[in-house]
Parts: sequence; C-alpha cells; structure tokens
Amino acid sequence: MTSFIEPYAEHAGEWLPLLLEAMGNTALLSISGFALSLAFGLLLAACRNSRWRALQRAVALYVVAVRGVPLLAILFLLYFGLPGIGVTLDAFTAAVLGLALAFAAQVAELFRAGLMAVPAGQREAALSVGFTPYQSFTLIVLPQVVRISLAPLIVTFVSLLKDSSLASLITVDELVLTGRAMATEYFLPLQIYVAVGLCYFLIAWPFSLLSKRLAPRASR
Amino acid sequence: MSALSTFTLILEGLLAGAGITIAVTLASLLLSVSLGFLLALVRQFAKSPMLHALIDAYCEVMRNIPALTHLFILYFGLASLGLRLSSITAAILGLGLIGGAVTCDLFRAGFAALPKGQREAALAVGLTPLQAISDILTPQAMRIALPSLGNYAVQLLKDTSIVSAIAAPEIMFYARSMVTSSFQTTLIYTTVAVLYLAISLPLMQAIRMLEARYGRVKT
Repeated sequence: MTSFIEPYAEHAGEWLPLLLEAMGNTALLSISGFALSLAFGLLLAACRNSRWRALQRAVALYVVAVRGVPLLAILFLLYFGLPGIGVTLDAFTAAVLGLALAFAAQVAELFRAGLMAVPAGQREAALSVGFTPYQSFTLIVLPQVVRISLAPLIVTFVSLLKDSSLASLITVDELVLTGRAMATEYFLPLQIYVAVGLCYFLIAWPFSLLSKRLAPRASR
Repeated sequence: MSALSTFTLILEGLLAGAGITIAVTLASLLLSVSLGFLLALVRQFAKSPMLHALIDAYCEVMRNIPALTHLFILYFGLASLGLRLSSITAAILGLGLIGGAVTCDLFRAGFAALPKGQREAALAVGLTPLQAISDILTPQAMRIALPSLGNYAVQLLKDTSIVSAIAAPEIMFYARSMVTSSFQTTLIYTTVAVLYLAISLPLMQAIRMLEARYGRVKT
C-alpha cells in the first residue's frame, strides 16, 4: 500500500499542475459540448413539434441514427473522415461538435418529455387570461419544462463529461490524453490513471448529487 | 477499383471484428446484469447499513468516472503490478463492473416502484420473506426494469467501441488499423457507422418485441 501511495507524495509538485490544467480543458470541452447540445436539442425538439411531416420524420431518423452509432465513430468521422471530403476541423472543434451531435438527440427527447408533462390547461389558462402565445410559452410553459427537465439534464451532462474522455482518441489534450502522456513519462500507469479517475470524479460527483437532490422536487 | 468493391473490401475487413464486438457486448451484459441484480437485492433487502454504504460507494465510483479511465486502470495500471489481463478480459471486466453499478440502479428502481402491499400480501398468505422476493417481487421488478435494461444493452454495444483503445480486436480496432494502411478514411468510418447501425437497429427492434411480450402490464 505504501508503495502505491509513495509516488503521489514524490511527484505531487509535477503532477498537480498538469492534472489541473487538463481538468480545465476537460471542463471547457464538456461545457462547450453541452451548451451546443442544448441548442441543437432545442432545435430538434422544435422541429419534432412542427407541422411539417417531412421535418418530423427527418428528426426521428436522426435520433435513431445517433442512438445506433457509437460516439467514437462519430468523432472519427468528423476528425479523420471529413478531411477526405475537403473539410478539416481542429481536434477540439471536432470533439465539441461530435459530443453535441450525439447528445442533442437525448436533450431533444428530454425537452419533448418535459413539454408533454406540462398539462395543456396551463397554456389554455394563460391564453384565456390574455397572454399572447409567445408570453404563455416563455412565462408559463417554459419555466415548468425547465423545472421538470433539470434533473435529467444534469444526468445527461455527467454522461457527456464522461464521454468527453473519448476526445483523447482524436488528440484533444484533455484529462485522459494528459494521463497517457504522463504514464509514458513517469512509468507509473496505475497511480496516474487512478489520479485521472479521481479528477473526473471530483467534477462529476457534485453534479450527480445535485441531480439526485433535484429529482424528487421535479416530480412533484 | 470501383467504389462498390472498395466498400465491400472495407466491410469484409470490419466484419472480422464484429464477432468480438458482439461477444464482448454479450459477456459484459451478462456480467453487468448478474452483478447489478445481486447488488440491487442486497441494497434493497439486506438490513446492514455497512453493506448499503459499500454498495452506494461502489456505484458512485463506477458511475462518475469514464469507462475509458476504468479500462486504462485495469489494462495498463494492473499490468504495472504484474497482473496482466488480456485486452478482451480487461474490456469485459471493465464494462461489466461499470454496468453492474448502472443496472443495480435500474433493478432498484424496479423494486422501488412496487407497492408495499405486494410484499405484505405475500407474507400474509404464508410465503417466507425469501419466497416473497423470488416469486412475487423479482418477476414484477424485472418487468418494470426491462425497457431501461434494453436501452442499456444498446448503450453497451456502442460502448464496446472504446475498448479498441486497449487494443481489443473489435470493429473499431480493425477500422483504425485499416486507416493506417489505406487512405480511404471517410469511406472506412462511414462503413463503421453503417455496420454499427446494422447491429444496433435489429437489437433495438428485438428489445421492443421483448417489451411488448413481457413488459409491464398496463393496469
């Protein structure tokens, strides 16, 4: 056990700054990916509720396709595959885009479930007391949708954060790739990958706890 | 070479890995579900607070750390202690141990959804507590958990693609090695996506049929 812990004491000064910087990159990657997937997801949910059949069907097809293809395949296609047809993305952009494309489908489903969970009477009541359709959506319906979807959205964010580790395989300099570089340099893979795991845990766990705390309130 | 024959050639190359993809999915699914069910039973019905805390801690650690990190710890980390797992063993073990935590929650949700009266009624008609769990509660909880277990199985199939990172020879591994020897990158990764769809879509369909057959009976 001491031989497991010793390297941490010995290398703390060198490892800590490296891991902290990588944690920052992972956080930036996940937050960018999540923000974009919220935007895409909202767009998809809106298209799904539109009156055009073709648009509805296109969105349904997209959701099934994304559900059936691994994120890693999407990332490789964006980063290694697109240059073949003349579009070159840098690794970080490809990773953000890939995460967003994959998670937008989940986000859209959550928004849709949230929208359906708000009783139609809410909107009707708002309209009957003189709200415009826009007001009744933004002031009455949307706040309730947000409250219902908040806990599952946080769960989705934690999944996205974990999946952002796949970006290391398209050379994004985040936690896992930093860990790999450190593992080759120091030759202590066990200690380093455990430390990398701990870094993820430190970011993800508070959100997991928050989602659990929010869940019963949202279902009320 | 025509585009079609290139595509066929790529597909043949990738199919070499499809068997391992499916085998790793099934083996880790089996490990996940057995471990998860066991953990859920203990967490739900054992009275020991110590066991509860242990299981909760296990689930949190498994679920808040990426699979890729778990795999690296098992494959590269343990090797440095002299415990050298094959890439396929590490893949099945890693995905299965994580899956145990995930499915534990799904089974627990199933048990938690049952009305208290089910257990009380079973005890009242003379079943032992163990019989109540095995004959009355478990079959109902299974039915409730079935849809989310199905989603999990599809997720697991997709997650096997990351075990290429520890050189387990599945679909993605063959794709990556093919890319280094040819320049058909776009076509190769498109074919990969199509191949995964060809496995996951029938799987989703099968799960839907299973749900229709055994899923929760509407009351």
